Amino acid sequence: MFTILVLILAAAGVAIGYGLYARTIDKNIVQPDPKKATPAKMYMDGVDFTPASKNVLFGYQFKSIAALGPITGPIIAVQWGWLPAIVWVILGTFFIGWVQDYGAMIMGVRRDGDTMGALSYKLISPRARNILMLFLYFYLLLIMGAFGNAVGKVLMTNPQVPFGMLTVVLMGVLAGQMTYRWKQDIILTTIITVVISFVGIWVSTQPFMSNIFSAIFGLPDSPVWFLGNTQAQVIGTLLVVIFCYLGSVLPIWSYAQPINYVSFWIVSLGVLGGILGMLIWRPGIGDFPAFTSFTTASGPLWPMLFVTIACGAISGWHSLVSTSGTARQLEKETDALPVGGGAMFLEMVFAVVAFLTATVAWGSFQGYQDAGGAGKALAVFAGGLANFLSRLGIPTSFGTAYGSVFLTIMALTIMQLCVRFMRVASAELLGDSVPVMKNVHVGTTVALLLTLLFVWVIPWLTIWAAFGAANQLMAGLALMLISLWLMSEGRKNAWALYPSIFMIVTTIAALLYLAYTSFLVKLPAATTAQASIANILIGLIALTLVVAAGFLIADGWRALRRPRVKEAAEKA
Amino acid sequence: MSMGASPGDRWRDKLRKARRVAGEILYGMTVFDWVRDLRRQRAEVERLFVLITFGDMVGLPILPPYYTLRLLPYTVPVLNRWKRSLLRERDLTDLAELIEGVG
Repeated sequence: MFTILVLILAAAGVAIGYGLYARTIDKNIVQPDPKKATPAKMYMDGVDFTPASKNVLFGYQFKSIAALGPITGPIIAVQWGWLPAIVWVILGTFFIGWVQDYGAMIMGVRRDGDTMGALSYKLISPRARNILMLFLYFYLLLIMGAFGNAVGKVLMTNPQVPFGMLTVVLMGVLAGQMTYRWKQDIILTTIITVVISFVGIWVSTQPFMSNIFSAIFGLPDSPVWFLGNTQAQVIGTLLVVIFCYLGSVLPIWSYAQPINYVSFWIVSLGVLGGILGMLIWRPGIGDFPAFTSFTTASGPLWPMLFVTIACGAISGWHSLVSTSGTARQLEKETDALPVGGGAMFLEMVFAVVAFLTATVAWGSFQGYQDAGGAGKALAVFAGGLANFLSRLGIPTSFGTAYGSVFLTIMALTIMQLCVRFMRVASAELLGDSVPVMKNVHVGTTVALLLTLLFVWVIPWLTIWAAFGAANQLMAGLALMLISLWLMSEGRKNAWALYPSIFMIVTTIAALLYLAYTSFLVKLPAATTAQASIANILIGLIALTLVVAAGFLIADGWRALRRPRVKEAAEKA
Repeated sequence: MSMGASPGDRWRDKLRKARRVAGEILYGMTVFDWVRDLRRQRAEVERLFVLITFGDMVGLPILPPYYTLRLLPYTVPVLNRWKRSLLRERDLTDLAELIEGVG
């Protein structure tokens, strides 16, 4: 009954949020004009600026924004109890999430297809653009650290996972080969590669295969090798690094894209199967508490819950994707709401499904804790998904391996592209002063060494909180930009300005809390070099982000006052 | 759909539309960005080719005008697109769309 109630609540959130609130804002404030030429039509170049159907763009936008973020956040957040988590997912999307995605998209359309860097340069200040770049680099490092930690140190250390993961990767390469070299039909390519991937996942659950990886990992009692990490964790993270290295240096169309394509089917079939199993089972919440306590291992409910669930409620990354990708392809201004707002509301539903795998799939708080709890959020999801799939007759051992492989491949496909971005960013930013950074292999190696430092040294929950805070701060700043743009056009901006203030205050509080606990609580108590380095790193990143945000807010405040000062001068 | 269409026809029409919408969404989720990447690769090669042949348009006279003029009829369709793409201001955040699924 609880499952159905939550799904009805989510549906009501979509119906009222999208159908009423978002449409009212769209119609009365933004007033999109379907006849106005969009950048896709004005600057059509056949690549970046090309008009596409709103249905195609909806699918593209959803795939671009929904992945591990909306899965992981709610699973960690239920440690405060199920009520705060579900309330923030639904209300966060309702009042803030769609506002940012849609606002950034329509702003990009109306400002000639400018992306966030150019927009912050023009609407706030030249310094704002440089600060945004700093945010981006830290943000990507934290993503790499968070996902690398979850995958390399948890999922990949399960001996039933690596072979399945390798099979999916090889099938991605095969899909590329079949498409480019053998000119095979995409449907045939899909069937062959997806079926072999599933066979690979099944083989990985067989005792002979898991015994091989157990021997490689030194299981069951994997010895400690380096910086407190076990043999299994070191090998797991190195496998992740090799995958990302190839993703960064090989042409994107020959390696990353075909793997992304095959993994899409692996992931979406798993999600669909999980939802089907959940609807057949319709489990209750059991004795899972609505509220546990104000302070948990991740910190106090405010501000930490609001950065723990980032994607799924609101995520700063969406504003970057909305402006750089989708806004340049919108055929009509009126498509911005169904594409930007619609995809965000669908992501909320995705986050609700993840929330259910952490709660009803286990039936009790103890069950959730035994499955790994907040410390092993992805293992909780894989186990929860296996519980749902078991209702369709799929054995739990296969379901768990499948869930783990699909999460691993989901993380890896993001990470390889992040490394690629970091490599390009470091070449752009440092290439002139340090020419060697322009070398593809050097840039990639530097990015991966930094990643390894983050993965091996910083604990999972801390790095996730820092990642969430950087992400949400970017969201607050994107909302500030949207408010400024609305003001420059003489439109009402309260619907973006108040969420912006809430997000900026909350995330700065979260970053200050992280800096405080790192420097003043954990660092004095640290007994190992690893713990000391971790606390210094996180504390420094948190403080740097706070200072950078301070400059941005000051510039933003000046930009907000600019029209009023101009108005007063004109009157005088 | 004409005014006098039967309920069966209307349903068939709705189903056809639903299938088209579902197909387009699936295309957007699966191969759309793959196709865009391939288009991007092609555009890069095309850009280089036009730069070599018609570089004088942007102040880079690489090929003698005799050969340029002989190639003109084949290059005309892409010239406008090429100029727009070459002269466009770019920003590092343009690349953000490459990273999918961060959430």
